[in-house]
Amino acid sequence: MIRPLLSLGFLACAAVLLALGLGSVTVPLPEIWQVMQGEGSALNRALLLDLRLPRTLAALATGGLLAVAGALMQVLLRNPLADPYVLGLSGGAAVGALLAMLAGMGTILISGSAFAGAMLATLLVFGLAHGTGSWTPSRLLLTGVVVAAGWGAVITLMLAITPSYKLPGMLYWLMGDVSYARTPWPALIVLVFSVVLIMPLARNLNVLARGPLQAAALGVSVRPLEWTIYLLASLLTATAVTTAGSIGFVGLIVPHMLRLVLGNDQRIILPASALAGGTLLVLADTLARTAIAPEQLPVGVITALLGVPTFLYLLHRSR
Amino acid sequence: MSVHRLSVRVALGFLIVIVVQSLSAGEIQRCAVDDVGQELCLPAPAHRIVTLSPGATELIFAAGAGDKVVAVVNYSDYPPEALKLPLVGSHTRVDMEALLALRPDLVITWVTGNPPAQMELLDELGIPTFAIEPRTFEGVSSVIERLATLAGTEQEGLAEAERFRVGITALSEQYRNAEPIPVFYQVWEQPLMTINNDHLIGKVLQLCGGVNVFGDMPRLVPRISAEVVLQADPHAILTGSVEGVSDDQLDSWKQYSELTAVKKNNLFFVPASPISRPTPRLLEATRIVCDYLDSARER
Repeated sequence: MIRPLLSLGFLACAAVLLALGLGSVTVPLPEIWQVMQGEGSALNRALLLDLRLPRTLAALATGGLLAVAGALMQVLLRNPLADPYVLGLSGGAAVGALLAMLAGMGTILISGSAFAGAMLATLLVFGLAHGTGSWTPSRLLLTGVVVAAGWGAVITLMLAITPSYKLPGMLYWLMGDVSYARTPWPALIVLVFSVVLIMPLARNLNVLARGPLQAAALGVSVRPLEWTIYLLASLLTATAVTTAGSIGFVGLIVPHMLRLVLGNDQRIILPASALAGGTLLVLADTLARTAIAPEQLPVGVITALLGVPTFLYLLHRSR
Repeated sequence: MSVHRLSVRVALGFLIVIVVQSLSAGEIQRCAVDDVGQELCLPAPAHRIVTLSPGATELIFAAGAGDKVVAVVNYSDYPPEALKLPLVGSHTRVDMEALLALRPDLVITWVTGNPPAQMELLDELGIPTFAIEPRTFEGVSSVIERLATLAGTEQEGLAEAERFRVGITALSEQYRNAEPIPVFYQVWEQPLMTINNDHLIGKVLQLCGGVNVFGDMPRLVPRISAEVVLQADPHAILTGSVEGVSDDQLDSWKQYSELTAVKKNNLFFVPASPISRPTPRLLEATRIVCDYLDSARER
């Protein structure tokens, strides 16, 4: 059980080192070593410590957050198409961010507003789906999808009535990109704490994945567990969106890939998702900023280009 | 009263001290205020300049500092020398590593066109930035003068700024009493978009005696329907195209034979980048628009 995690951890470390070593400017290995020892030229220090390191760590954390959130959502909704954004969380975050931009706020307040919007979206869906009487994951899913459509309409409306000089900034935010991440630390801390917290629940999640009746029969208190997963996944997604905008694909595909290879045991899938999601986004971002440098590609293009063939291969092999 | 007078004197005294200080500092420091009101002071003339918009590239060349530009962004196609310069990505995604590695001493940014997060990072890294976005004719001259100040090329820069100013003044004198003519400027065909009077293109139309039929719209670049264009019945329809060569962008109007602009064959193509970039080439584009409107009046 430990071995796949060790190899994924090794891969993640290798991806981070590769990301630090590659860029549109070539920094030779000896000079990278110098910078790591706290020496080196001012330029190399700026390149590695101010540009590459924060960006790489932000990609690692964001990818991890999205993959874990995706894995949790798929278990919660028992729907293979579920991803971190399916319940309208990114829409709420986007509305928060765009409102802050309309008011002319700075980047920190925009991030704060995006986070608040994401949490508001979470609570809105929570409240509506809870309603009175019984609720089911399908009710939660429907509520979320409809609320997401509502957010989408609000975003379109805001873009339509915004003064045109504010539009580029908003579109940049909506596209999502790791290069806009300012600091990786909140995302990394949230990721590590969440994975540590969720691990004791992983066994119950395994039971839940087989259906709520079985889970209840086996002594799992289903509803509190489901709400815990929902809130935790929301927190993870909100943190990811606040760090780098809404980056798609990672949250949907990484958990599925891992299930194809490692089987559906949440005790492995959850930490493996954190590592593999981070690795995928780090590699994708490295390619995005080096492939046709100095032109910079959107990272979403590369995550899909890397992920689609890998996923199809795994799916084909598993038959 | 006396207290008031005293405070005025004290204030005057301070003012003189400040002026003298800045005069003496002027020999070593060059200061200019950018288009977001941020003052930038350089200890020496900038000699490693990077521009982050095609317009900024044109303006720095106009300011006489083209030989001090070390990199530009994609689509910096004017003047032709700019095409030979290294790229640091595009204005929407700047390659920060390439930019940093060039050790620029001045980065000219685009107020609303560059990603805000990347611009903040430049500030944090202590790279001098100067954000520009001229929105008036005078703004074009003024930004050329300010860039020339920062690059220490006042001689060429001030002359070019003045040439533009004089040219625009002469044109506006010439067309001051021109017969007003209703005009529609098509920014984009699908979806149909135009500009209001606050837009620089709107100001060009006004200068030439054109009456922008959508000049009073609240948004700078409004989206409109074909219906309101038919209702407004412009006597001339203009749009931008590559090099001002006619293409198919205005063809859809030809089906409305009752439209005065179509009846009189007043569908005109203006060179796109000169009219849409706030640079000295706008003078030439303005002349072209004025000529077109003249011929529209005659038909």
